[in-house]
Amino acid sequence: MATLVWRIARHGVIMLTIVLLGGFLSATFMRLAPGFDVDEREMDPHLNAASIQAVREEHTQNRNIVRYYAQSLAKALHGDLGTSISLGQPVAALLKERLPLTLRLVALGLGMGWAAALALAMSAACVRLVSYDVASTLLSGLFLCIPAAVLALLSVLWNLPGALAIALIVFPRVYRYARNLLSKAYSLPHVTTARCKGLGELRILFWHVIPVAGPQLLALAGVSVSMAVSAAIPIEALCGLPGVGQLAWQAALSRDLPLLTSIGVLITLVTLLANSSTDVIGQAMGSQKA
Amino acid sequence: MTRCQNFSFRVLLGAALGLSAAISALAQGGGQLRFCLHTEPKTFDPLQVEDDASVSIRYLTGGVLIRVNRQTQALEPELAESWKVSKDARQITFKLRSGVRFSDGSPFTAEDVAFTMQRLMDPALHSPTGDAFRTGSGKVQTRITSPTQMTIVFPAPVAGLDRMFDQVAIVSSHAFRQESAVNGPFLGPFVVAEYKPGSSVLLRRNAYYWKTDAQGRKLPYLDSILLDIQPNRDIEMLHFRRGEDELINALDSDYFDKLASMSPELVHDAGASLDSEQMWFNQVAKAPIPDYKKAWFRSTAFRRAISEAINREDLCRVVFHGHAQPALGPFSPANKFWFDSKLKPQTYMPDAALKSLQAEGFHLDNGTLKDSHGNDVAFSLITNAGNKYREGMAVLIQQDLQKIGVHVNVVTLDFPSLIERMTQTFDYEAILLGLTNVDLDPNAEMNVWLSSAENHQWNPQQKTPETAWEAEIDRLMRAQASASDPRKRKEYFDRVQEIVVEQQPFIFLINKDALSASSSLVKGENPVILHPQTFWNAERLTIAKAN
Repeated sequence: MATLVWRIARHGVIMLTIVLLGGFLSATFMRLAPGFDVDEREMDPHLNAASIQAVREEHTQNRNIVRYYAQSLAKALHGDLGTSISLGQPVAALLKERLPLTLRLVALGLGMGWAAALALAMSAACVRLVSYDVASTLLSGLFLCIPAAVLALLSVLWNLPGALAIALIVFPRVYRYARNLLSKAYSLPHVTTARCKGLGELRILFWHVIPVAGPQLLALAGVSVSMAVSAAIPIEALCGLPGVGQLAWQAALSRDLPLLTSIGVLITLVTLLANSSTDVIGQAMGSQKA
Repeated sequence: MTRCQNFSFRVLLGAALGLSAAISALAQGGGQLRFCLHTEPKTFDPLQVEDDASVSIRYLTGGVLIRVNRQTQALEPELAESWKVSKDARQITFKLRSGVRFSDGSPFTAEDVAFTMQRLMDPALHSPTGDAFRTGSGKVQTRITSPTQMTIVFPAPVAGLDRMFDQVAIVSSHAFRQESAVNGPFLGPFVVAEYKPGSSVLLRRNAYYWKTDAQGRKLPYLDSILLDIQPNRDIEMLHFRRGEDELINALDSDYFDKLASMSPELVHDAGASLDSEQMWFNQVAKAPIPDYKKAWFRSTAFRRAISEAINREDLCRVVFHGHAQPALGPFSPANKFWFDSKLKPQTYMPDAALKSLQAEGFHLDNGTLKDSHGNDVAFSLITNAGNKYREGMAVLIQQDLQKIGVHVNVVTLDFPSLIERMTQTFDYEAILLGLTNVDLDPNAEMNVWLSSAENHQWNPQQKTPETAWEAEIDRLMRAQASASDPRKRKEYFDRVQEIVVEQQPFIFLINKDALSASSSLVKGENPVILHPQTFWNAERLTIAKAN
């Protein structure tokens, strides 16, 4: 138990360091992007010189990136994530409004993608028919070739849910690894022995295959969260879904430093949480087994 | 009356009553109108509005004293029954409509107008609408003589003063709070009922709206308007085709043709809009470009030759599929009063362009134009990435100029990078961009034409005018801004337009047509060229029930 607590604490410290570093890198890259210092409002012919100057001053406050990041962190400790430059609304409120949609989209997409990938991988590993294997590999290869943007546009065109596009992005990547892992596990001698002894397929799966392939599948689950979160950005932007992905897209285009830094931190946090959770679960399972 | 006649009379009466009820039901309307906003509204505070989405919401929810009729371009009384501008154009006196109420039921009075003007003119607000009124230093004063009578006094003359009130939505002196501007209260036909960031804005009819139709029925007819926040034009088009949206504003010419091929009755081309597309050369003295290029760009003959060598008809035909008109000058002919009708179309004359360049010391060498020092005449033309029309125009310009030996490199940049080069680093040679015109009055473009202005794009923030013609434009713009006689103002601004066409600091290319689409369910629509094209008469629109 003490070891588990120690592991969780160690993961926590590593996560915090990476999140802080991720936020700083997001802010730095944004600061270095061309056009960081300008605002479209400068082009408004109605604004007089004083108003244009005021618009420029809003941006000059963020020029020193180290100072900006230190100030932002200090504010963030009090729950203030700053105000979006392009939308003029508090970043915390924007994230709070949009996060549920993205989480739902990613969770549904992951669920559907994993269900399809595992079902196909298990049946391919069990059936062990060359034609079935080729057909399923071709199907996953097909979806692997289609860019996320095209899947998003197709889902718009056919009025399909955005989660399906995420599922179709996750599915081929998970399928290829899962099939290899399960095939390897099914070809192990003790599985062959179990089959020869007449054990049922379900018992073989849960007692002899999953325990072997489980830790790697868990690691794959952590990675697939990053895939789904990354895919959510173009999908939300193209499908017009008002989630954090769409917000990230708008923030990048409008060089909205406070918003993009917070989204960068959020995405880093979600990715790390997913990976660390799978690590901790995997290690816990391993130690239980031992 | 025989029994037969009696029966016929009853049938006719019944039919008439039925028809009347049907018409009445249609006129009474109800129902929900749906269309897209292309960006998130940045503010619901009508005095801080600057983006298109917020302008649309202000138009639908705000009450103004004077309205520019989007069809006739004439001024019409709204919350002000009448008004009078003083001869020196420094003060305006309003007689306000009585019995008008805000959406919370509170009465509208002169106090609200005074509060609105004081807030609008607060320098700390940095309101684009307020800045347009700021022609001199000093405070704006308001004098209330009765609850329905008041005068606003400006520190300096404001040309076109009454017309500018079209943009001033009156806010309540007792209930308006900047931080909760979304809650109003409102004086316009609709009120904001719900705002889902990133998703939609729902407007509901204002039960206290003061206008009635000719039959005395209360306006607006619609129950609500649902504005989908949808930046993606493809999805907007898809929603329209599925019947999920009923209007499309500023339709792309590609989509216009697609829709026209399927249902021509749904699309509307109102003719040339106020918007222009233009290119210009960098004339900034400190720009980090070679001196010999600066010399070309500062040469009027060079700019005029480039202008003559561009085939504007082709731009309209190829890029906009005929839904654009060659631009004649700074203002589109769609601006009925201010357009200078003496301006002639720029004829495509590549041979004449080449001759005039040769007269300036340029010469052709193996198909490449060279200047008198032997430098190849080549420049990069920047435009914003993702705008297929500008990218298309840039490619056609490249081909046109190649015919006179000028090599053009087309470069596309994302908008912030482009603005940075244009306004801060001046690291560019030529830019192709557009100007979206909402105002009809040239005063709205003071910050473009004055040589000292920030938005004098080809050479901004000049301490003193660097050329005689820019000095002349400065003088004329200031003269028109301080003149009160519209004819005199027009005379001054006509001369500005002529100088711009002679000197070509902006090479005006085309004026896009105002294209729109409206569902057959929408009744009473009459798309116009001015913003907001399709819903300028939103209070009189109705939605027929779909079968």
